[in-house]
Amino acid sequence: MKYAEKYSASEMMAAVCAKQIRNDDVAFVGVGIPLMAGAVAAATHAPDVILAYEGGGVGSKTRRMPWTISDSPTTDNALVAGSMNGIFSDLQRGFVTVGIIGGAECDKFGNLNTTAIFGRDGDYHHPKVRLPGSGGANDIASSAPRTVIVMRLQKGKFAEKIDFNTSPGHLSGYDSRKKAGLLGGGPVAVVTDRGLFKFDEVTKEMYLAAIYPGQTVEQIKELIDWDLKVSPQLTELEPPTEEQIKIMNELDPLGTVLGSKSMKGAVEPFDDYYQALKKSYSVTKLVL
Amino acid sequence: MTDKRMTLKEAVSKYVFDGCSVNIASICAREPLAVAHEIIRQGRKNMTYITDTTTDPIELLVAAGCFSRIEAAYIWIGVVGQGYNVRRAVEQGVPNHIEMIPYSNYSAGLRMMAGAMGLPFFPTKSLLGSDILKYNPDIKVIDDPYGTGPVALVPAATPDVTFIHVQRADMAGNCQIFGMLGNDDYAAKCSKNVVITCEEIVPTSEIRKIPNMTVIPEYAVSAVVEVPFGCHPLSVTGYYWMDNPFRQEFIKASKSREGVLQWLDEWVYKIDNHEQYLEKVGRERLAKLREMEQDNCMIPEIIARTREGIL
Repeated sequence: MKYAEKYSASEMMAAVCAKQIRNDDVAFVGVGIPLMAGAVAAATHAPDVILAYEGGGVGSKTRRMPWTISDSPTTDNALVAGSMNGIFSDLQRGFVTVGIIGGAECDKFGNLNTTAIFGRDGDYHHPKVRLPGSGGANDIASSAPRTVIVMRLQKGKFAEKIDFNTSPGHLSGYDSRKKAGLLGGGPVAVVTDRGLFKFDEVTKEMYLAAIYPGQTVEQIKELIDWDLKVSPQLTELEPPTEEQIKIMNELDPLGTVLGSKSMKGAVEPFDDYYQALKKSYSVTKLVL
Repeated sequence: MTDKRMTLKEAVSKYVFDGCSVNIASICAREPLAVAHEIIRQGRKNMTYITDTTTDPIELLVAAGCFSRIEAAYIWIGVVGQGYNVRRAVEQGVPNHIEMIPYSNYSAGLRMMAGAMGLPFFPTKSLLGSDILKYNPDIKVIDDPYGTGPVALVPAATPDVTFIHVQRADMAGNCQIFGMLGNDDYAAKCSKNVVITCEEIVPTSEIRKIPNMTVIPEYAVSAVVEVPFGCHPLSVTGYYWMDNPFRQEFIKASKSREGVLQWLDEWVYKIDNHEQYLEKVGRERLAKLREMEQDNCMIPEIIARTREGIL
């Protein structure tokens, strides 16, 4: 096993997130980095993991990267091509063991906002920034025994107070989830681009558990709005392996998931798109 | 057997009216853009969208000012970019303000299930403790009379019309879906009218060969329209893969109001019907999208074998 010499922050996040997935998990994976993490886990340490998608696909083994929670790769060579209500009922029933979700805002108890940023003069009905909404994230956060949050560490995003609690974390800490009637265990980890966070067993407050190579605690603290607690056993995580990076590149030849192309507003010529995907089908084994 | 076939123009004109509630079902894959184009061309306004998750169609429909209320869990364009048109409507009221009623995917699906079962509501353990409860007065939290604590109730969804795109249907509306189903079984049965758009209309004898694949029965269906490539640039399992460069062009255009108006003019208003749209996209490009899908998907093989009488 060799560590990769060059890797991006997204690739590191996907690799760290992959480690949160166990071989015996039935894992609910959302689009983007969570999906890539599921793919990497399945291709390395967790070959028996069953990946479940919101559209109803379960256990697909595909050489195409799903770009949504419901496109064809989510049922290519799959165990089940079922329904959305079916898979969410399985989650509420307790069959799904881990869910991986993203957020735009996160507070110290792991409550997530993906609905709207109100802004100084705005409110829910007239927000500064409208976001997609819950999708299935609220359901995953409500009922999954373990939830893993994936989010970039940016100033203002890890806030003392979030505008809209879309997906419940540990609510106001301690046993508040249980009191609210939620079935799932709540968030166990927050994977960012600078460090890995976990939650105190009693207070349920988020703390810094490990940092990535080249990062410092001070830099991370500056990006978080509350007075962040740091584990006395703070460790430094290993970089991704060459194998992990290779898997990611094969599955995402266009950088659709990890390259943040969409943010740059790039349009790729159709023929490049066609050729690149055709080529990726020929080199990629059925890995997911 | 009733022949329910009609053109898309006829179906939209018959079942969609100003102020009605609509669902264009499925999730990302199998969402028929052709239906959105036709609704926009017919100029319907002030409608309510009731769904779980919706992507590209709602972006176009909101840009064209067709909707004033959306009851849904997720309204965005997915991993390829932002939902600029929905953002512009909600944040700036352009072209009109939209009332957003929040749900989660599961609770939105349970609404359809309640409607499909003829029940007034359905309970769930989702939503508890979240602000979705705070901003959606239609969701009620009660204490479970059987003793498990709080439980959220979501009201049945009963939209006026639901459009569902499937791979194949017969002329009476028995529908077979390949790949994920989304909530389309309940989406069909909760709706007052259902218009099926499909890649292929097949003889009923083909449906009867694999009845396990029939998701929607004819008695739930009002109209059937054959619309090949009806979901381009989105994907349809077994038929064609996603045209992401096309979606990227749309997102780029959507960054400004002027840009998206030009897009609507070029790709919707100046086009009379879906055939013309496909000609404009280009047959060679569509053939490549079909090849990209069929290189990876095993379902068409199974279907081919049933046609040869092997299965």
